[in-house]
Amino acid sequence: MNGLVHLLPLTVLLPITAGALAPALFHRRGTACWIWALAAALLSLAAGIGLWRELYSGATISYPLGGWPPPYGIELVFDGVAALIPVLGALAVLILVASRRYVEATVPASRQSLFYALILINLGGMNGFVAAADLFNLFVWMEVFSISAYALVALARGPVAALAALKYLLVGAVSSLLVLLAVALLHAQTGSLNMGDVAGLLAAAEAPGASALALGCLVVGFLVKAAIFPLHFWLPDAHASAPSPVSALLSGLVVKMGIVGLVRTRMLFAEADVVPLLMPDTLLLWLGVIAILAGAVLAMVQRELKLMLAYSTVANMGYIALGLGLAAPAAVSGALAHTVYHATIKTGLFLTAGAVLLGTGLSRVDDLRGLGQRMPLTSGALVLGLLAATGIPPTAGFVGKWQIAIGALQAGRPWVIGVILAGALLTLGWAIRVINSLFFRPPARARVITAREAPASLLVPALLLALLAVSGGLFGAVLLGLVEPLALEFVGGGHGH
Amino acid sequence: MVILFAIGLYVVLTKQNLVKKIIGLNIMETAVFGLIVTSGMVTGGSPPLLGQGLEPPYASPIAHALVLTGIVVALSVTALALVLIIRVKAECGSIELDELLEPDE
Amino acid sequence: MVIELFDLRPLIAPLLSALCAFGIMLLGSHAGWRIALSLVASVVKFFIVVSMLPGALDGHVYVFSAGEILPGLDFAFRVDALGLFFGLVSSTLWVLTTIYAIAYMRGSHSLRRFFGFFALCVSTTQAIAFAENLLTLFIFYELLTICTYPLVIHSGTLEARRAGRRYLIYTLSGGAAILAGMVLVYQATGSLSFSSPGLLNPGIDERVLLAMFVLLIGGFGVKAALMPLHAWLPTAMVAPTPVSALLHAVAVVKAGSFGLMRVIYNIFGVDLLDTLGYHHVLAVIAALTIIAASLVALRQDVLKRRLAWSTISQLSYIVLAACLLTPLAALAAVIHIANQAFAKITLFFVAGAIEKTTGKKRISELDGIGWAMPWTMAAFTVASLSFMGVPLLAGFITKWYLSLGALAAGAPIYVGVMMASAILNASYWLPILYRAWFKPGASPDAPVKEAENLLLWPTLGCAAYVILLGIGAQAPAMPFALAQSAVAFAFGLEVASP
Repeated sequence: MNGLVHLLPLTVLLPITAGALAPALFHRRGTACWIWALAAALLSLAAGIGLWRELYSGATISYPLGGWPPPYGIELVFDGVAALIPVLGALAVLILVASRRYVEATVPASRQSLFYALILINLGGMNGFVAAADLFNLFVWMEVFSISAYALVALARGPVAALAALKYLLVGAVSSLLVLLAVALLHAQTGSLNMGDVAGLLAAAEAPGASALALGCLVVGFLVKAAIFPLHFWLPDAHASAPSPVSALLSGLVVKMGIVGLVRTRMLFAEADVVPLLMPDTLLLWLGVIAILAGAVLAMVQRELKLMLAYSTVANMGYIALGLGLAAPAAVSGALAHTVYHATIKTGLFLTAGAVLLGTGLSRVDDLRGLGQRMPLTSGALVLGLLAATGIPPTAGFVGKWQIAIGALQAGRPWVIGVILAGALLTLGWAIRVINSLFFRPPARARVITAREAPASLLVPALLLALLAVSGGLFGAVLLGLVEPLALEFVGGGHGH
Repeated sequence: MVILFAIGLYVVLTKQNLVKKIIGLNIMETAVFGLIVTSGMVTGGSPPLLGQGLEPPYASPIAHALVLTGIVVALSVTALALVLIIRVKAECGSIELDELLEPDE
Repeated sequence: MVIELFDLRPLIAPLLSALCAFGIMLLGSHAGWRIALSLVASVVKFFIVVSMLPGALDGHVYVFSAGEILPGLDFAFRVDALGLFFGLVSSTLWVLTTIYAIAYMRGSHSLRRFFGFFALCVSTTQAIAFAENLLTLFIFYELLTICTYPLVIHSGTLEARRAGRRYLIYTLSGGAAILAGMVLVYQATGSLSFSSPGLLNPGIDERVLLAMFVLLIGGFGVKAALMPLHAWLPTAMVAPTPVSALLHAVAVVKAGSFGLMRVIYNIFGVDLLDTLGYHHVLAVIAALTIIAASLVALRQDVLKRRLAWSTISQLSYIVLAACLLTPLAALAAVIHIANQAFAKITLFFVAGAIEKTTGKKRISELDGIGWAMPWTMAAFTVASLSFMGVPLLAGFITKWYLSLGALAAGAPIYVGVMMASAILNASYWLPILYRAWFKPGASPDAPVKEAENLLLWPTLGCAAYVILLGIGAQAPAMPFALAQSAVAFAFGLEVASP
């Protein structure tokens, strides 16, 4: 046990160091850099898995850096939330595997090492964020993954990418600032930065108004990061211009950090009973409902595949927000499970979309008619991913929706079930359009007719994720069991209502 | 501080020129830093430095650390933003948002 | 005494077809592989399902559970008498439909896709029949929708795509309703299992019970073509004939009716429904569907359309019978699964054979066809007489038990409905028979061009079943005693030893 705890900072520091070194070591050597990045990500994943086994056989791991005990020192923790690290690692590995061909084709040679470096830094930042046990580190790692994300979006060619990145940057910076403000307020109130400490000390804080403000800032800040409607507007533009592996990273992983932030926030304020949690809960509930419906409808009117997927992300983040907002044990466990499931589904979908783009150069759904005959495996993966996104049982998308529906009844809001179902049906609307176009229409564009199947490095991760997405529902009980302690912690803390 | 923050937000939201937006962002950031530093102040306190002949009570060093980190972050963000603006200018010839969003290509 | 036995067969039967589908996707570009895989899988599966028959007649129930997939809910199969009955009907018909499809689809395009999804539909239907709980059933119910979609729009025309879209909208919306109902049931009882003759208890709030009923019945009613949820079915006729036969006799519509029966007998239970009284409304809806659909059928000239509307009418027999909540009526409901299936498939096979051999689709063109294709039309005659309720044929048995059950339930009006339906059936089947046999054809000296063998033999096989089911209410692998067993369980009666 004791030796293994050192794995925790490793999951954070390894990718970052590797990423920082990469541009220097591998200038203009794209493939070598790719291998380096893959190795770093795999090692980080292995470390995460090792920690996972510790967590599920024992208790939470707390790692004080430098031996300084909390609350004085910086603490990293591997608890239910940080169990996300191996998931992030695994998906990042798959994204890296898939991105090689893509990068070779679209990114200029001088920038390739930068691409891999940024992905590694992003991974490290995310790992740090989920493992952070004090507010300061939370902020720092949040900035690390955010800034690397802005840069990744900008890495694509063309002015549209730069503008999209700027928009993301501005929005993200403002939201980060809100978080910083909240951290400052909380520190002023309690004199500590350690999250566990602060949670306990808040009750004795003098100015509940300031605490409420801090809560508000945290919630809004993380809502932006999680792309919850109506603070989602940076997402579609970022996706439209970013390279597909980056879109996969953004929609699959980075937005989930917003959710993690919301969970941490809730846990922070749960004990204190100072600020009623009803407000943010209700806010999440309603924003979630709107996001589900608006996201699905907006997806339906899109013509481009990647934009459909982007709005689908908005809708799915709505499901998660809804689940968290209902604050019933089943709903929260469903939301948390859906976080993991959606990461899998969406990463797979974007990687597949990337394969399509690489093979044909086309991204509009109407142009992709008949692709099913030329690129059957890729199209098949796309179809499987879309079915999972709509939540047909037994796919992965079903589990979260089911649990949240049960939670809606537990929370005494049965009408939410109608919203969930409406969202699923609307999603089917555009998913069927894509499936139809791929398989049941004759090809119309020359580039479709001459397309060949995607290269293996792209295809294998995409297929793997698609298969996981489709069969994920069969493991629903397992995942929900893993998530349940966290869900209970989330709900049980707030006795304000 | 709040007024400063509000000014910054206003600038970010309304100004069309991209550089001005970044300036607005910086104004917001400065406001937050100011708030943090003042929150760490202790009346009659001395700078938190050991071994310089200074006596406690010290002003909170954590606040200063927060601000320092924040400044570094703000710096990186601003730098990245400016690079992007240069690129936009080079590729589109303008840095006014309304001109850029005009339906062209 | 119900003895539960752990067995792999409930899993293997659906799995086999799924594997067959997988094989076809891989190897199916070559016709030989497609045919071989489809035939072998369907025959082997038939034998696996039949092998469970003796045990079921003895009162055994075969169970296979794969463990929890959602908290408190298993992914499990449980072959009880009702499930086995449906399973037997579907596996028997599958063998016959596969043979027919091989001949009918020869020369068509995208055959690998066709037979692959065909096999997947088999698989999911079997799984629906054997599902232990509502969740497992629902999973495969939705998968069935997905798998039938490529078959419905097989021809790829605009009309086909439109029909496909309407099909999906209806069935998936129905699925959403079922899901909502499921959530309510799970929350109220903590389970979705079919292993008891009634899961819900009267202690639940009545508004919730009503909501559950409406959602579940409405949801399953889409596929069971209860009016007004039936509109997807006539337009889905654009599918190739084996698919129509599939949809209308075995898979989709029967899955809907089967789901309804599970809801009535295993989720609500006879006693609870009797107290609540919802069955009266449903019975009326079913009766109206029977009559109204028959009236529309009268006006159809395209043969397949007339068959479609007749299907809608016949399916509601099952619903009506189930709603009467008496053992005799329930018996009618169960055996009508088989009776309607065999008779309707015969009719569809004939329609397809005529279309393939002569190119004719409209009834007005069928003058004298009885002499040109005597065996084919003989099968048609048998099946249509069955629907009219002629004694010694399957349809009569259904009507007989349904009427007895209606009298036992104190609702003699439904006997009237039966008679009216019989008259209506006569009005739209007899003209066809008259044209076929008694009107001279276009060229009276035309050579007898019978349908090809591979189309003919399955047709005759189904017609033979219709006769056998009528004579003794028994047919190979479809014993009457099994139906009695199913009914006995639902009503908590003791099974009389055969």
